[in-house]
Amino acid sequence: MSQARDLALFVVGLAILAILPLFLSPNLMNAVIKMMIAALFALAFALAMGQAGMLSFGHAAYYGLGAFAALHLMRAVEMKLFFFPTPLVPIAGAAIGFMFGIVFGWLATQRTGVYFAMVTLALAELLFTLAPTWNSVFGGESGISTMRGASWGLSFGPDSHVYYLTLAWFVISTWCMWAFTKSPLGRLALALRDNEHRVRFLGFNTHVARTLIFAISCTFAGVAGALLAIANEATNYTIFSAQASANVVLQTFIGGAGTFFGPALGAATMTFFARVTSDLTRSWLLYQGLIFVLIMLFAPEGLGGIVSLHMRKLRAGSWRQLLLPYLLCLVVGLLLISGLVFVVESIHVVMTDAYFAKRVAANGAWVPYQFFGRTFEPLGLTTWAIPIMLLGVGSLLLPMARRVTATAWLLATQEQSPPSRDGQSPTGVRQEATA
Amino acid sequence: MSNRASSNATMPVPGAVSGEPILELRNVLKSFGETEIIRGVDLIVKRGQRHALIGPNGAGKSTLFNLISGHYLPSSGEILLNGESIAGSSPHAINRRGLSRSFQITNVFPRMSVAENLRISIMGRHGHRLTLFRPVRSLKAVNDEVDEFIDKLRLAKRRNDLAGDLAYSEQRILEMGMSLATGPAVLLLDEPTAGMSREETAYIVELIRQVTEGRTLLVVEHDMSVVFTLSDQVSVLVYGKIIASGEPAAVRADKIVQEAYLGVEVH
Repeated sequence: MSQARDLALFVVGLAILAILPLFLSPNLMNAVIKMMIAALFALAFALAMGQAGMLSFGHAAYYGLGAFAALHLMRAVEMKLFFFPTPLVPIAGAAIGFMFGIVFGWLATQRTGVYFAMVTLALAELLFTLAPTWNSVFGGESGISTMRGASWGLSFGPDSHVYYLTLAWFVISTWCMWAFTKSPLGRLALALRDNEHRVRFLGFNTHVARTLIFAISCTFAGVAGALLAIANEATNYTIFSAQASANVVLQTFIGGAGTFFGPALGAATMTFFARVTSDLTRSWLLYQGLIFVLIMLFAPEGLGGIVSLHMRKLRAGSWRQLLLPYLLCLVVGLLLISGLVFVVESIHVVMTDAYFAKRVAANGAWVPYQFFGRTFEPLGLTTWAIPIMLLGVGSLLLPMARRVTATAWLLATQEQSPPSRDGQSPTGVRQEATA
Repeated sequence: MSNRASSNATMPVPGAVSGEPILELRNVLKSFGETEIIRGVDLIVKRGQRHALIGPNGAGKSTLFNLISGHYLPSSGEILLNGESIAGSSPHAINRRGLSRSFQITNVFPRMSVAENLRISIMGRHGHRLTLFRPVRSLKAVNDEVDEFIDKLRLAKRRNDLAGDLAYSEQRILEMGMSLATGPAVLLLDEPTAGMSREETAYIVELIRQVTEGRTLLVVEHDMSVVFTLSDQVSVLVYGKIIASGEPAAVRADKIVQEAYLGVEVH
């Protein structure tokens, strides 16, 4: 039953992604391409992190190498050295990711935990510092660029071609990683995560196993990098930066490393969030950080954890009981967020050089500032009454929202058969009783 | 120091001669820095034997287990399994050569189900250590054996529960089952009844007798009644040396042993 549901979800998701380009503006289509790439990268990272417990702080290395490998291949094709079909270019990313995954993984997996993380970080930093000085391979500080070649009767000029190419690789790679979790090595990965020491005494060479798992993760990171290279037709050394490595860690945790699809959800959401908010405000990194902190504090299982909790625990039809409480939570959340955003953006405006210059011109007076198309007095009582009211009402309603939601959750989840461990939905049993 | 390798609880592994030495330690020494923990241990465990290793706290019993199973490297001396040296081999290599151990502290995979815990051991023995292109579901021989083991360990009701949710005694049974499922000729059990009630102890001792039938057993144990019901050979380790070795009754009667260790418990 759960398998049928998974399959149905998969088909629906695929169908939506397949017809989506018909409705998207070029800008949004590009956004969805980047979301799929980020999601694939996060899934690859989570294969090492979530499944095998290997927290790599340097996964941008394999992502970046995949991108450079793809660009070199595409450039060779562009210069007519030989022909290679554009849709298969990600294979180059996969190959380079796997190779470096084996070599770097062999070194890093000598250690576990924090030391493993430090070695992976150091190896990625090595590439980051090496790349700008190594002109022939990484194109110096400006990087390398090329053009997508036409192949298989497609020009790969329009974004929609890139979209479907990315989608195909996203689906194939995701399926492979899903199949990995069902393979003996995938099961061993969970055992290694839980208790590596014990695995050693059961006849497994854990160093070899961990290297191989790490390399498989790097393979798909390489594919993601290659897809990015195809989409952008260029890259430079900043793709290796520690920030890029940190980003995939954050996205995976926001999405929930404990579920298979969580990291993809987190990466897609945060990529979209970054794209939208970075155009609106310079404080978007602050908001991203806040989201991460709030998720870690109140939903450490991440977005995927929240979704899977609902799928496992809710009785059929009982979501209606949760609708109103969740709506209340949404309202409270919006009140608090608007209050916070108001304060942050106001502070941001009055701290800018431009505003400072205006004050100097006005002999130090707190001149009014523009914000959301309206004018506010920095010292005006009404100005600060807005966030105070938003935050105040929000805070007052918060305990109530929590109480109401908790009660509704209890109602919606009680009377169920004990949850089974193999992910089967417990809802089927009691359906007649509640109907 | 005669050895009686046969009792009705032990049956030789097919194709092997009962009574020949299967595990042999020759003048094994282990020191950590200046401190000598194992000070020249000679020990012979014969095929099919149920050999108990007893001794006061700090005698070096756990260290000896760690040396035999490949966790520590001996400072000097030889460890032979089936006549071949295993000293300095890695734990997984020693396991594949037919020696498996359990741990004193519960050592399972807490976030995996009971069946999956056992499947890891069993799929390894079937050669699926790094298999990538087949789903575990399709490994029929492995899965059948998992079911067999679950029944044998009497954990059928707990089959799909997370190992971390089991009761302590059940976790210990599962832990031993995981060691056993790798199919060892020699099984080392480190205090299998530690921390258990009298009933649980009786239960697990009986279970161990059943499931380890035909295998060679080396057990560290504190509970003297367990030692005398489970084993047909006892070695006494005191301060890093074996001071006596023989049949349980003989060891119990030994004056030196009584003074060094048993004095209070055996009258």
